[in-house]
Amino acid sequence: MNKELEHSFVELLEKHQNIVHKVCRLYTDNYDAHNDLFQEITIQLWKAYPKFRGDSKFSTWMYRVGLNTAITLYRKSKRRVNTQDFDGVEFRIKAEDYDDTEEQQLKTLYKAVHELNDIEKALVFLYLEDKDYREISETMGISEVNARVKMNRIKNKLKTILNP
Amino acid sequence: MDELELLKKDWKKQDAGYKQLTSNEIYPILQKKSSSIVKTLFYISIAELVFWTLINCIPFFTSGSYRERLDEIYSDTLVITGLTIISYGVILLFIYLLFKSYKAICVIDNAKKLMESILKTRKIIKYYVIYNLVMAFISMVIAMYLAILHNSELSHAIEKLNNKQLFIFFGIIILFTGVFVLLIWLFYRLIYGLLLKRLNRNYKELKKLEV
Repeated sequence: MNKELEHSFVELLEKHQNIVHKVCRLYTDNYDAHNDLFQEITIQLWKAYPKFRGDSKFSTWMYRVGLNTAITLYRKSKRRVNTQDFDGVEFRIKAEDYDDTEEQQLKTLYKAVHELNDIEKALVFLYLEDKDYREISETMGISEVNARVKMNRIKNKLKTILNP
Repeated sequence: MDELELLKKDWKKQDAGYKQLTSNEIYPILQKKSSSIVKTLFYISIAELVFWTLINCIPFFTSGSYRERLDEIYSDTLVITGLTIISYGVILLFIYLLFKSYKAICVIDNAKKLMESILKTRKIIKYYVIYNLVMAFISMVIAMYLAILHNSELSHAIEKLNNKQLFIFFGIIILFTGVFVLLIWLFYRLIYGLLLKRLNRNYKELKKLEV
């Protein structure tokens, strides 16, 4: 692949890399795993980049490739070793932003989201990224009605976890 | 407040928390090799094609006596030519189907379609394995039968057996061959089971949403 293509890809990825980080954050629970998945998503994005025609936004396209890699293609690498957990490190909720109750509630919520299955996580992720149900259904390959129904079930599930 | 709305509010604040990679750090990643299940599946299918082709060819090319025996046993050249054409035809057909299904796997498809493409590829490999195992079973049983028929000592020994003993004798041969084939099949199930466990689980979950 030519240098120009590589350069434009790297430039776009650098700008939108948070999308990949956020997918990694939902599907992994430590730094090594995060980096490993980030690497695999980047490789998949790069492999598919020549097919990217620019008729959709690069970020929209990234959501699809990122989630597909996390849900379907990613095979946990053996080189990974369990190290530090995310909880309480990079993504800790800053005390000054929230009161105690809200902070605690958020911690429980993040923990609850991590316990969801891969498909539920994907729906939550797209929801958190402000995607409408049409886009969620197109990304997942399910009907819009089913996406809504599932999302409501997830909300109830989270509610139950938070208020047992 | 809705739990997810609370989470969304916080989710957006976290953007600044991720370690930002510079372009100099991204370039080396592009040179790395993918370790996706599609790649693994691809290597396994190639290994299977090579393995079964070698199993069929190696004894024929390496052992002169084996070749002579085969020539003797399968003296009907029309049958043997027909069988060879069919078996190579089947291999070529599987290579074509595999190639086609790999080309159909596209990471920019929606999640469900991507999973279906991978599962379809896996199915083609499965059929290839089943075909080989069935052929292995049939040819082992036939080969044993022909070996006995062409070996005068064994033939005489078998002639002395009564019907019940003969039945038990062939029963044991078929049973052992069956167990051997079954063990290979279980081995395959284990490999694919482990590799595609997560994909199967997620696909079922997506399908469940349609009910």
